[in-house]
Amino acid sequence: MSSIDQTSRPRSRQSLDADRLLTLACVGLPLIGLILFFAYPMVIVFLRSITVADGYGIGNYTEVLGSAGFWRATRHSLTMGGATTALSVFLGFILAQGLYRCAFRGKWLIRGIIVLPLLAPSLVQALGLIFLLGRNGVISRALGIEIEIYGFWGLLIANTLYALPQAVMIIGAALVLLDARTYEAAEVMGASPWRQFRDLTLPAARFGILNAAFVCFTITITDFGNAAVIGGDYSVLATEIYSQVVGQRNFNMGAVVGIMLLLPTVISYSIERQAMKRQQAGQTTGQVAYQPSFSPLRDLSIATVSLLICAGIVAVIGIVIYASFVKLWPYNMSFSFKHYNITLAGGYSSLWMTIVVSLGASVGGTIAVFMLGLGLRRLPQALAQPIQILAAMPAAVPGMVLGLAYILTFNSTATPLYLLYGTAALIAIINFYHYHTQGFLTVITGFRQLPPALEEASGSLGAGLGRTARDIVVPFVAPMLVSVFFFLFMRSMVTLSAVVFLTTPNLSVAAVTIMRLDDAGLTSQAAAFSTCVMAVVCVAILSMRITLALIGRRSRNKGMA
Amino acid sequence: MYLTVRDATKTYGTFTALDRVSIEIEKGEFVCLLGPSGCGKTTLLRLIAGLTELDGGEITLEEVALSDLPARKRGFGIVFQSYSLFPNMSVAENIGYGLKIRNVPSSEIAARVTELLELVKLPQVANKLPGQLSGGQQQRIALARAIAVDPRVLLLDEPLSALDAKVRATLRDEIRQVQRSLEIPTLMVTHDQEEALALADKIICMNHGIVVQAGTPEDLYHRPATRFVAEFMGSSNLLSAEDVAKFYPDLLATRPASTETYLACIRPEQIELIPAEDGTATVRSMSFLGNLQRLEVDSPTGPLLVETHGRPCCCTGDKVHLSIASQDCTWVLDDADQPKAIPA
Repeated sequence: MSSIDQTSRPRSRQSLDADRLLTLACVGLPLIGLILFFAYPMVIVFLRSITVADGYGIGNYTEVLGSAGFWRATRHSLTMGGATTALSVFLGFILAQGLYRCAFRGKWLIRGIIVLPLLAPSLVQALGLIFLLGRNGVISRALGIEIEIYGFWGLLIANTLYALPQAVMIIGAALVLLDARTYEAAEVMGASPWRQFRDLTLPAARFGILNAAFVCFTITITDFGNAAVIGGDYSVLATEIYSQVVGQRNFNMGAVVGIMLLLPTVISYSIERQAMKRQQAGQTTGQVAYQPSFSPLRDLSIATVSLLICAGIVAVIGIVIYASFVKLWPYNMSFSFKHYNITLAGGYSSLWMTIVVSLGASVGGTIAVFMLGLGLRRLPQALAQPIQILAAMPAAVPGMVLGLAYILTFNSTATPLYLLYGTAALIAIINFYHYHTQGFLTVITGFRQLPPALEEASGSLGAGLGRTARDIVVPFVAPMLVSVFFFLFMRSMVTLSAVVFLTTPNLSVAAVTIMRLDDAGLTSQAAAFSTCVMAVVCVAILSMRITLALIGRRSRNKGMA
Repeated sequence: MYLTVRDATKTYGTFTALDRVSIEIEKGEFVCLLGPSGCGKTTLLRLIAGLTELDGGEITLEEVALSDLPARKRGFGIVFQSYSLFPNMSVAENIGYGLKIRNVPSSEIAARVTELLELVKLPQVANKLPGQLSGGQQQRIALARAIAVDPRVLLLDEPLSALDAKVRATLRDEIRQVQRSLEIPTLMVTHDQEEALALADKIICMNHGIVVQAGTPEDLYHRPATRFVAEFMGSSNLLSAEDVAKFYPDLLATRPASTETYLACIRPEQIELIPAEDGTATVRSMSFLGNLQRLEVDSPTGPLLVETHGRPCCCTGDKVHLSIASQDCTWVLDDADQPKAIPA
């Protein structure tokens, strides 16, 4: 080996190369952000959970574990999570089966309707249910019966509506991958449609179903909006944290409950990631898409069920919009704009603030995940992997816990980070890190499709990293970046759980205002405000569609010229 | 010497991709790196391009060390197996990209692009997007893009492997023609020995991260140095020295005096079959390949592969005598267990 030792590595000059500096900045800046605004607050929340009067100890834990209220909330959270998961995966499978394995018209309508709950703050489903089934609800009054909508059943329906779009998308993604040729082979071998479903569809979709179950479970037990509005006395862990922190100003106990809520979500998320990998591993290349042919019994029954579910979603969302235009619900149903005159302090200022915050989160966030994706490609695997794991971690942290971590970290004068406390910037930051994982994974998926040879070819032709990024990488991943931008914008517009602790009387966001209006008994104004938020999100979706279409057309037109 | 690689070493963890490899390319020369997959040939090409970092050794171009120069400053042209045209740019923009980076005025770029499109015989496609071209067309554009900047060295990484047989043959000839007319020193990686034989001025045959033999195509085919080269470059019959001594004693004269194991290598077309009632060998099977026949013959030393041109001399089951001229026998080092480098 002596000859290798003699030829040493003259790397010193290269370390000052502009491309290396740029790579370092691309990885370094987002990494500092992740550490400062995710890892560090999470450490703080953990430390606070073990902070007792005389230093550190497990006193808080024993106190929480000894309280009946905590166990009731845990039991409720797990029951609610399980029930919602079962219901949304079951309905989601039917809807996905209808969309991808059946032949009937109007699928675009179903696709459009099932994602409606994602366009509004989660408490809108709860509001809608109250307008439909509450004491003054149209259905209760029409039937002349008293339905107790506050509590388990109301929360179950609201949560299911909220989790359903995720279930349909994940299961649908698994179903769409099934190869038509395996079905043709089964057909030729004499397998009945039912056998084909049992022996081919179900086994192939099992990871998708598993994955959907964990996602629905996580969404449900971490959701705060629905539980706050329609949960009533049915306390869950998310509302328990809120009452500990906001009600009793007991931050250490809130931190303990937060850590306890973190356990199931972390477990659920890690299993989900594994399931995802297994599903991807099962994919083959060059498959033939399945083209369903009309089968009356199967298609008509599934279409009917799908239509009923969609009608339910439209009713719940629609009634909120309708109620916002009614003079005095439910006594005087004449048309009126008066609820749009928001009387709560601040009026619409929180809506404008939310738009500004959302723009900040989406612009900054898109740039950050792009830089990270670009830089990670140029790092050795051993370095890139831990950063990738860190970047994918925020999804396992419930918004309530992240929000609590932020208030504990940034409302402390111990570090200069205190300067951020109470600013809109911090709300934009928490929104970005709350949804960091989804944005990051989308960009990484885009980068995976970019062949390394393209960048190498550009490099060999003389282009530096900056130039390659501008001329080759950005045009290639542009659709992905647009999606990430609007995803972050829309989530920031409607999120409640992460920001609920960070708002102040002078600085509020839309979802918190809706909750306050509802708390104050101004339900119709809450509906009006929700309608405004949904309008903004719809405009955002429209803009995204137009942008993506323009990108698509631009590249197509070029070929025609 | 124009481009020199001396003692290049590259390891990935415990795997040694390249072990002190030295090669040389002269001005205007077309060199093929030939070897099975995993032999280190692509790693070597990427080291020369500057896309992978050297662990040890040195690469020099006209006596200037390249090690500290990033890929974009080396001024090389590279063509990949996967075409790798920029999908968002038109054909003309792709070809002109390197010139644009060098701030060449756009009128000059346009003229150069037109000229190159003529050269690769695709004058009509300037405004098309790469996705609208066939594989063979895309690879022609990739070649045009690589040579647009007058590269100091042209690097081709299995440029023909993704194409179907007919396109491959045409493009092979065109690459050779373009390279000859522009006299660009070229290094091509391939695992296809036929491609290497047809294109190269010099073939560098690699295995297990070392250079096994380097030389002209004729050298490697007719005078393989080791068993690996003999078997990789076409088919060959390998006989042990004991068998040769017993059945073909004339061939022993050229056997090198060495303690290492050498085998006699005889190419299938260099065995003459003489039909005879008292023949020591029997024709076991025969396949007709158009311009030639391939025969499997059972001989006292075991099965032999024989190729004959013209009309078939015998049929399956015939008894034959085997005749081998002594100049047609090459003694090769038996490197079956352990790869061994032969000094060039």
